[in-house]
Amino acid sequence: MRSCRREDPMFDVIFWLPVMVGGTVAGASSGLLGTFIVGMRIPFLGVCVAHAALAGAVFGSLAGWTGPALLLPALAGAIGTALALGLLDPQRVPLDDNVVLSFLFSLTMGLAFLGIGLHGLLGRSDSDVRGLLWGSLNFCRWRDVWLMLASAGALVMYIGAFFKELRAIMFSRVDAAAAGIRVHLVWSGLLVLIAVVLTVNFQTVGGLMIYSLISNPAAAAFQLVKGCRPVLAWSAGLGAASGLGGFLISAATDLPSGAVIVIVSSLLLAVAMLVRRRR
Amino acid sequence: MTAPVIEADRLQVRTGNRCVIDLERLQIPAGQITALMGGNGAGKTTLLRTSLGFVKPAGGEIHVLGCAVSRLTPVALVQLRRRIGYVAQLLPARSELPLTVREVVAIGRTGRAGLFRAFTAADWRVVDDWINRLGLGGLAERTFGEISGGEQRKTIIARAMAQQPELLLLDEPAANLDLGWRERMVETIQELHSASGLPIVLVCHELELLPPACRHVVLLANGSVLAAGAPEAVFTEERVASLYNTRLRVVHTRGRHAVLPPGGPDV
Repeated sequence: MRSCRREDPMFDVIFWLPVMVGGTVAGASSGLLGTFIVGMRIPFLGVCVAHAALAGAVFGSLAGWTGPALLLPALAGAIGTALALGLLDPQRVPLDDNVVLSFLFSLTMGLAFLGIGLHGLLGRSDSDVRGLLWGSLNFCRWRDVWLMLASAGALVMYIGAFFKELRAIMFSRVDAAAAGIRVHLVWSGLLVLIAVVLTVNFQTVGGLMIYSLISNPAAAAFQLVKGCRPVLAWSAGLGAASGLGGFLISAATDLPSGAVIVIVSSLLLAVAMLVRRRR
Repeated sequence: MTAPVIEADRLQVRTGNRCVIDLERLQIPAGQITALMGGNGAGKTTLLRTSLGFVKPAGGEIHVLGCAVSRLTPVALVQLRRRIGYVAQLLPARSELPLTVREVVAIGRTGRAGLFRAFTAADWRVVDDWINRLGLGGLAERTFGEISGGEQRKTIIARAMAQQPELLLLDEPAANLDLGWRERMVETIQELHSASGLPIVLVCHELELLPPACRHVVLLANGSVLAAGAPEAVFTEERVASLYNTRLRVVHTRGRHAVLPPGGPDV
């Protein structure tokens, strides 16, 4: 990374500190979410919500919203899509979650690209929207970090408050409902938080990196430990290690940070699988 | 006389245009093991799911533990479900999450403990008690995915019993189990009932699965009650022949029941 080799090391630290903190927080919060998303076998939820956020931002931009304010329509799109999944009762809807997600994914992606096309037809600038689509960790600033910290903090508090219900829901939503757990309420709340955390992380670090940080740390944690609490802790830790470690390697090698973070998280998963095989 | 634990009155349940349950009247008595039997598609599982409020009736009403299920608010329905232990026909699709057996059994305490309340020591005592009573003590820290199908079924029953239910619904608890595990399941059901008189509704296909304490069988056909009463009265060779369209010998001995191919030595 060029600026890491500037003359003034203090400048580098100040400049790159929010990027390092942002990468770490994005990794940790995505890892936490991944425990639920991968645990319930709906990894497609990550890309689905990310494209719904993009569709929301695109139409927000068409409506005249610009810059950081685009986060609001992006959140509306993501939350709306997540709740659409939450409204479906597995006891009554004869469709697998992943079938519903693929429908929502294709719909939101179609809407997003339709909106991008409309920008050209209407002669509007789509630079803000494209920035969201290709969000880059290297442009992460303190404002972004605070937003990421706030959404991650809300997620941690939610998990703390509903830990035992979430554990039951992850095992089986049908069994949890039969045991008299308020599945609909707790699951819908988690989906809203998934949408918020993913949207905030997505606009800062980009879709590809988020997707890998959702899937890989959680899948690696599942190989290494058992029990809900250890898995959550390891998943968050491995996510944070992927984010921070990937950034530091990219800084030392001048390689693109997003790509290196993805590769680091994938390698961690490979190592975890090897460790499990050796046991 | 104690009120029935399940009482259906002119109950109709439809799937699309097909009427899967059409019951004029059905009573499941308190304090007994009742077996719901019948061919595939007779409406056994649907009846259990309707009792839990997972399926809405098209007509009539079903009362469970004194509650008219279709008239309950969502919160009241959740509260009713906490009073019922339910073991579904299919084991939960293997979750990717490596939950331990102890954590799975603890799901049964989750609803009762209530929102925003952590488990107390008493909750964990109930969980550990059922783990031990069902012989799962040595497996408590193993993950649910690591144990055998029979052990998984016992774990799910322990989960249901950890709810301290007033009614236990078992939907084919011995499905896909080998002979040894099936016999252990019969013993388990018998013990669960004899320990506290817990009313159990047992859905099964095999007569061999009826424990000696089961003295009430409801035979369903096309969603209606074909016969109800003691196993010996309900399962006659003539009825088996007409219901299943095959001639089999039915043997009732020392509280157990079995079907055998025609001919062969007397049992």
